Amino acid sequence: MNLKTLILIIINGLIALVVAVLSFSFYNQFSKVLNDRILLQLNSIKTLKQIQIENLIKNEWKDFLNNNENHQKIDSTTFKIPDSLSNMEGVYDFTSKHINRKTSIGFVSNSENKTHVKILDYNKIKKILLERTGMGDTGESYLVGEDYRMRSQSRFFPTKTPYTMLVKTEGVINALKGVDGRGAFNDYRGIDVYSVYSLIEISNLKLVILSEIDVSEVTTPLQKLKSRLVALTLGILLLAIILSLFLTRIITNPIKNMQKSLKVMAAGDYNQSNKFIKNSNEIKEMFDALANLKASLQGAVKFSNDIGKMNLNAQYKPKSTHDILGKSLLVMRDKLVEFRNNEQNNRINTKRLLVNGLESERRRLSRELHDGIGPYLTSLKHYIENKVQDEKQKTEMKRIVDDTISEIRLMSNALMPSTIEDFGVGVTLTNFVENLKASTDVTIQYEDLTKHDQTNITNHQGINLFRICQELINNSLKHSNAKNIRITLSEFDEFISLFYFDDGIGFDEKTVKLGSGIINIKERVEICNGKIIINSKAGNTTFEIELPVEL
Amino acid sequence: MNEIKLVIADDHELFRKGLAELLRKHDDIKIVKSVANGIEFVEMIKSAMEVDIVLLDITMPKMDGFQVLKELKTLKSNLKPIVISMHSDGNYIAKCAKSGAYGYLLKNTDEDELTLAIRTVYKGKKYFSAEISEKMINYMSNQSVSENILSNKETEVLGLISEGLTTKEIAAKLFVSSRTIETHRANILKKLEVKNTAELIKKAAKIKLI
Repeated sequence: MNLKTLILIIINGLIALVVAVLSFSFYNQFSKVLNDRILLQLNSIKTLKQIQIENLIKNEWKDFLNNNENHQKIDSTTFKIPDSLSNMEGVYDFTSKHINRKTSIGFVSNSENKTHVKILDYNKIKKILLERTGMGDTGESYLVGEDYRMRSQSRFFPTKTPYTMLVKTEGVINALKGVDGRGAFNDYRGIDVYSVYSLIEISNLKLVILSEIDVSEVTTPLQKLKSRLVALTLGILLLAIILSLFLTRIITNPIKNMQKSLKVMAAGDYNQSNKFIKNSNEIKEMFDALANLKASLQGAVKFSNDIGKMNLNAQYKPKSTHDILGKSLLVMRDKLVEFRNNEQNNRINTKRLLVNGLESERRRLSRELHDGIGPYLTSLKHYIENKVQDEKQKTEMKRIVDDTISEIRLMSNALMPSTIEDFGVGVTLTNFVENLKASTDVTIQYEDLTKHDQTNITNHQGINLFRICQELINNSLKHSNAKNIRITLSEFDEFISLFYFDDGIGFDEKTVKLGSGIINIKERVEICNGKIIINSKAGNTTFEIELPVEL
Repeated sequence: MNEIKLVIADDHELFRKGLAELLRKHDDIKIVKSVANGIEFVEMIKSAMEVDIVLLDITMPKMDGFQVLKELKTLKSNLKPIVISMHSDGNYIAKCAKSGAYGYLLKNTDEDELTLAIRTVYKGKKYFSAEISEKMINYMSNQSVSENILSNKETEVLGLISEGLTTKEIAAKLFVSSRTIETHRANILKKLEVKNTAELIKKAAKIKLI
């Protein structure tokens, strides 16, 4: 389940629960209060009516007793007067005696052997009972006799004779038992009512007075309240859902963005630069942290990229002491640097060995020619001098041998001048340049500023410097069309400097095709742990080579 | 006429034999001994053998010609060495001349010249052929040995500094690297015991270097 749904369910569930509980308890409380109020009001109405009726009857009774003379006669056509009237004294309910069952409360008095009877005017009672102030549309007060028949007119059946209506309700039953009370039950119509009841007992009269009101009327506002509450609940829920949707958007959008970013990063791309809405401090911090992470990863990526390209001078600062990635990369770089240095040393050593081998081989060959073959040739010459008699032949042969010796000497010198070991590179170059002068028009000036007898130039350096000069001069003569070549070899306490100049056409170091000449020169400088700076333009090409003095 | 007592010091037997064969024809020259290396030769000298001239090869095993010349100098021997070598470079010739050689011959020298050299040297004169002399002088003329406090190069650099040229300009002018000029300048300052260019110019002018 995704975060959004979860938040929605939890928030709205909580809100719904709270609203429902509140509404329910509010409704209950309200309905309870309403019940109490209604019953209280009904009770006061009932009490008022009861008192009024009791007063009415009592007053009438008093009047009746005081004014015996004025008594009307009971209309015998409407009444079936009981025979035992003479034995009776007090107030009676004569409704059952009335032919039309009209409610009749009769007063009977026997004094001086004379029976007086009076029927209370029903209208007086009716007037009291029909006064329905505060009874709403369905409220009524009515009287019920001992026989459970109604004695006062029903509000709902104004044309029906009350007596014909049987009211055997809970209230009446209770009241007749002498229990006053209140409650909600079915009335004579079978409709739920709130009812307050009480017994009126005057003399022989026993009437139950009930004040009732339909539950449905009372609960109308309650229903309204209920529907309002429901509407309110729904409204709140709707609002809650909208708000929580909004809220979840606020919360989940950044998280989704973050998720997206992280996914992209997990796929190995640290260069995404999406802008996000940062709508709270936490989110902002989270994104800042993400940005930091990204930056540090980018740094690490760049760094490893550099390392991958063997750009081992690349620097990287670990983001913290826990930056394991950064540290590993640094270790990797250091290892690579070490490896490269070893590799380079190996390479230089290999090259040095190779060059040294080559040079010693050349030396050997040079010696062999110079000191081996040379003497044989001189011996041959001696032999010719000694043995050949024909002067012409002798001269010719001697010339050939001399030429051969010269050639051998040249070859030997080209291979490896013996001067280099016996006199040093400074002198060797002097000789070399001197010998060249005979065979070229180019002005070559060499200045020897080495220390001769006190020189610190090693044999190894000397050979390489000589070879470099050979190569440079060779290049200049062959390719540059130079008119002047200037060479200076300076020796100092700390370093040896070879400066080479020609005024030829120059070359582009990147595109130059001088065979492996320049490469060889660079290699020789490298194996001597030296430095080389090449500047070339038309008319001014210089090589600055610097070797350390190795003591 | 006295016989010239000659010793040949060369590591090549064939050469020695050839040379001996060549010189045998000349009655005034007597080869008293042939040795194959420097040590053998020095031992021979020390054994008080009477020898006038040695034909000395430079390149020999154990002890080479230069060392032999040095040894002769220290022994204050009357023996006159003539170097006979395959090396034709001026520096060899110059070194040998400096070291006390009376003559310098190339190994393929003709018989006539050889005997001429031997006889000349025997008379106490030195023998360097025109060709050999030229090579030697060419070499020596290239050597810039200065007797002054400053080397020739340093004097040149000092002059350019005093003219107000920058290091770079001087370097370009003298066909050396800037660092070389810087080092020269530092060395000049050190040699003249001054701290900066102003002092340098002052002092150089005072001692008339510029």
